[in-house]
Amino acid sequence: MAALAVFIFYRISAGLNYKWRWDIILQYIIRIEKDTGRPVAGLILQGFAVTIKLGIWSTVAALFIGIVMGILRSGKGLASRLAGIFYVQLIRNIPPIVLIFIFYYFLGSFIIEITGIERLVYHAPESVKKIISILFINPVRFPAFVSAVIAMGIYEGAYITEIVKAGIGSVGRGQWEAGRALGMSRRKILKYIVLPQAIRYILPPLAGQFISSIKDSAIVSVISVQELTFQGLEIMAATYLTFEIWLLITFLYFILTFSCSLAFEKYFQSIRHSGSVHRFGG
Amino acid sequence: MKKIFILTFAALLAAALFSCGEGKGPSSGTGAETSLIEEVQKRGALRVGMSTFVPWAMQDKTGELVGFEIDVARRLAEDMGVKAEFVPTKWSGIIPALLTGKFDVIIGGMGIRAERNLKVNFSIPYDFTGMSIVANRDIAGSLDKLEDFNRKDFIIAARIGTTAADAVKKMLPLAELRLFDDESQAIQELLNKKAHAVVASSPLPAYQALKYPEKLYLPFEENFTKEPIGFAVRKGDIDTLNFFNNWITVVEAEGWLSERKYYWFNTREWASLVE
Repeated sequence: MAALAVFIFYRISAGLNYKWRWDIILQYIIRIEKDTGRPVAGLILQGFAVTIKLGIWSTVAALFIGIVMGILRSGKGLASRLAGIFYVQLIRNIPPIVLIFIFYYFLGSFIIEITGIERLVYHAPESVKKIISILFINPVRFPAFVSAVIAMGIYEGAYITEIVKAGIGSVGRGQWEAGRALGMSRRKILKYIVLPQAIRYILPPLAGQFISSIKDSAIVSVISVQELTFQGLEIMAATYLTFEIWLLITFLYFILTFSCSLAFEKYFQSIRHSGSVHRFGG
Repeated sequence: MKKIFILTFAALLAAALFSCGEGKGPSSGTGAETSLIEEVQKRGALRVGMSTFVPWAMQDKTGELVGFEIDVARRLAEDMGVKAEFVPTKWSGIIPALLTGKFDVIIGGMGIRAERNLKVNFSIPYDFTGMSIVANRDIAGSLDKLEDFNRKDFIIAARIGTTAADAVKKMLPLAELRLFDDESQAIQELLNKKAHAVVASSPLPAYQALKYPEKLYLPFEENFTKEPIGFAVRKGDIDTLNFFNNWITVVEAEGWLSERKYYWFNTREWASLVE
């Protein structure tokens, strides 16, 4: 593998007569502020932070949508099942980038107008603006960030819907029957018996979906949300250091998703060993 | 439970359909609405849409935007008594973004063209640019006229949605046009010998030829088009257009515009900001 990497490196330098300028890249990652002498995160690191926040928030949004839709999907009535199927089929058959555009240019403006987010952010006091910067993104780009989170949430939600539906379906029929025998309503059965057991089936694919959403967040660079890919493209346009930037960005996405998947692995292993869920008689 | 669900869904749908018809801001033309100038004064900030084009507008190391267009926009906002806020947008979607109200004005080196003017209003020109061309020595070497590039087997790269792309379509119709999201990608294509030449606004081709003298060269020095550059705003706002036109006239007469143009285009003193 290392030999392959070295070979590719050499081919790029020699074949394309490309002058590597890694020194310039370093100051985009972290640099010393001139007046205060303190190290400050460069554009790449800022974009990295925004990517993480995008992944988290869009997964949160997708969870809300996915759980509601997933319960509908496994519902008894035809209407609720159809609603779920319609949503899933619609979203899964549209490329995510097209979805982002549709959302940003049409629905996004509508939602931002109605909720008055833009006005709120403009007139917010400094402390609120700081909180927004830390939790989300700098206040000027906040409406676009919200658009992106909602659009990605709708997109990821379709996949989480199927995950939740499969999880609910994996809980044995006996559980439902036992609940009905006890005289519980469908809602109570879901809440106290089925869902707690379904979680065990839902968590592993959900973790995979979270990692997927980190990668998919690169798509929102087309609506100028300043995440990692967008910052990379901007720096490339200004400095023309195409290879260095792309390599760096690839590396950053890789360590982010890889460490997440390692962390999830460890967590699931520890759950399995602790033997938490007992199987009820079927 | 089902009924509630259906009712809320129908209500949301109706709300969505009703408000789609209203449009945003003064451009909807439904009568006496506030002009952009007043809106901006109330808000305290002028939102400017732009795209990265070196050296018209670009991010420096600290993430601040710098460039000729940035200077113009900042001075305009200052003279209006407000802050300038920049909304970096993909060039290929910048007019739709203006029309859907993502920002107030495009100050990004946008060339005035009839087909664009059908959708937006332009101010009077505050700048003029021209196209020039940079070519690969190995596969398109020692050519010295524009017509030499008008060949069926030649591939010319340009940035999508720009007047450079239009210039290639018009003046090099036989050549194959390949479009990219920004110039750095087009240049990389040229360096990889997958394109014979790149057409872009001066001084970009000249910069690239200087940067890679063994691989690239400038077939000829002069620009082969001359285009006026203006501010783009949504249609129907006479107040704003009047303000912008007069502002441009004033700073032009001051000589401020030429001085800024000289700094950004004829010197490289600003290079340390980005590198």
